[in-house]
Amino acid sequence: MKTSILKMTLAGLALGVASSASVALADTADKKIALSNNYAGNSWRQAMLTSWDKVTGKAVSDGVVAAADAFTTAENQATEQAAQIQNMILQGYDAIVINAASPTALNGSVKEACDAGIVVVSFDGIVTEPCAWRIAVDFKQMGKDQLTYLAEKMPDGGNLLEIRGLAGVFVDDEISSGIHEGAKENAQFKIAGSVHGNWAQDVSQKAVAGILPSLPEIAAVVTQGGDGYGAAQAFKAAGRPTPLIIMGNRHDELTWWKEQKDANGYETMSVSIAPGVSTLAFWVAQMILDGKEVPHDLTVPFLRIDQDNLEANLETTQAGGVANVEYSQSDAAAVVAK
Amino acid sequence: MSTFLVKLREQPWLWAFVGTIAMWLATSLVTGAQGSGQVLSAAFSFATFFVIVAIGQMFVITLGPGNVDLSIPACMTLAGTVAMKLMAGSDGMILVGLLAAIGCGFAVGIFNFALIRLLSIPPIIATLSASFLIQSSAIAYNRGLRVKPPAALAEFTTTRIGGIPVLAIAVMLLAIVMHIVLTRTVYGRSVLAIGQNSKAAFLAGIRVERIRFATYVLSAVFAATCGYFLAGFSGGAALNMGEEYLLASIAVVVIGGSSVAGGYSNVPGLWGAALFLFLMVTMLNTFGASAGLRLIMTGLIIIVVITLAGGRKR
Repeated sequence: MKTSILKMTLAGLALGVASSASVALADTADKKIALSNNYAGNSWRQAMLTSWDKVTGKAVSDGVVAAADAFTTAENQATEQAAQIQNMILQGYDAIVINAASPTALNGSVKEACDAGIVVVSFDGIVTEPCAWRIAVDFKQMGKDQLTYLAEKMPDGGNLLEIRGLAGVFVDDEISSGIHEGAKENAQFKIAGSVHGNWAQDVSQKAVAGILPSLPEIAAVVTQGGDGYGAAQAFKAAGRPTPLIIMGNRHDELTWWKEQKDANGYETMSVSIAPGVSTLAFWVAQMILDGKEVPHDLTVPFLRIDQDNLEANLETTQAGGVANVEYSQSDAAAVVAK
Repeated sequence: MSTFLVKLREQPWLWAFVGTIAMWLATSLVTGAQGSGQVLSAAFSFATFFVIVAIGQMFVITLGPGNVDLSIPACMTLAGTVAMKLMAGSDGMILVGLLAAIGCGFAVGIFNFALIRLLSIPPIIATLSASFLIQSSAIAYNRGLRVKPPAALAEFTTTRIGGIPVLAIAVMLLAIVMHIVLTRTVYGRSVLAIGQNSKAAFLAGIRVERIRFATYVLSAVFAATCGYFLAGFSGGAALNMGEEYLLASIAVVVIGGSSVAGGYSNVPGLWGAALFLFLMVTMLNTFGASAGLRLIMTGLIIIVVITLAGGRKR
């Protein structure tokens, strides 16, 4: 009787909340989950893999799943990753979690996996194949949010310098289109220059140093993450006043921000995706294997750092790493419920 | 005067400098006189790093067809990572860090050549596969965490005298030394001879394999040194810090007027080409050109340079 009342109450709520009420069922104890990752060559991806190891390692030792192995391709090529997924199908994994090299090029392999009865969950670098689940980042919004913040901070507007990521990559196009859309809506801002920093501090520093002499006074720098510190160095080397630079949650960026804040009250904000999103994808895969209803399209919340919580975030960020959040099973259930 | 001009026109490095000046003037149209000085100063800052790796790459390419070092980015990353972690931001350890970086370079060079010589793997495949191992070592060593360089090293790499970075002056001196090494020493002449005809060089009594060994080690040591200074310059070593130096190191050698087929090389062109590559990107950025156009231009320019250079020689 009691349980049926509970069930009735829960039925009124979103399905995901219902599933959070019955977490840690042992139904998935014999299930094997694999991570197919396309790239590991930067600090964000390293943190992503570390989080995966930490959270899934515990899940395996707790008996929630039988295995959660991580595999990374060497060359960041879609063809190589497609072959890797085919191997995983043959190895008999029950679910494959993917950070994909391309949104479309893996669809064939993903479809094969689905046809073999394997649950496929893609995150960050998502795949468009309908049978897969997607934990997408609203990169466009991430770009737009920067302009929203700037419009509040600088009602008079000014010139912007845009630092983009790696040319030809989906994420770069999305963030940039969000930034340009935001600039259109807030006409007091003008994008005076745009360079590609490849999400690397040294490349950004170089690109900004090159274009700076041709630019008028810059009020703010809009970025994509991993480029804010390099931009700050370039402004300093050119002897120009430091503009408001949006940061991307890297430890060196946050440290620099803190130094400036202490020295002269410098204000900015920092936004990026927590590398721990891999653990969200893991729990989503586990929930699907557990027979839960999970919508095929989910969105990851941004990890945003502002003036007042800078110190707290800096403290929890590993020196030289990226600000991170790891998901627990109930955190994941809450995201699904949204 | 006219003989001087004729002689000048024959210099293979000429086109790189002509291109550099053209790009600089084009950029100056937008930046004005004061800005153009700053552009040049920035160009020297960043071209320096290209030149260091390109000198090593040039010696390897000079050895003749099939010789190329694709492990440069990984070697830079490993050396930068090891040195930064070892120094842990302490000024007293700067020399130790430099020695550690150079040590990494030696290890990488020896390993590369061991694959090439002992296992008879072609250099392209040997250095590429070695780079996976080296990159993985760098990842395993510090998991991509960015350790700040010692303050004095960061200061040194960014200091300028009269607008010219100190590091650039040092690398210009290095380039002069390496020019003399290439053209005036037994080692340099041997590298050129092997590149022109390795059988003839062998019959002439040159110890071909020893020279090749020294050259691969030289390239790796230069890459490691570059990784060390680049990490100092940009606030720490990152796992992807060497990425753009793979194609750039080859492009700088080729645009600088060295023969891709080996045997004919020159050092001055490296500076011309490195400045040219930086200024071209700067010019296109200044004019607001897209990344796609930039890549197309880079490709076209390499084709034009090879055609121009190839039309004249031999």
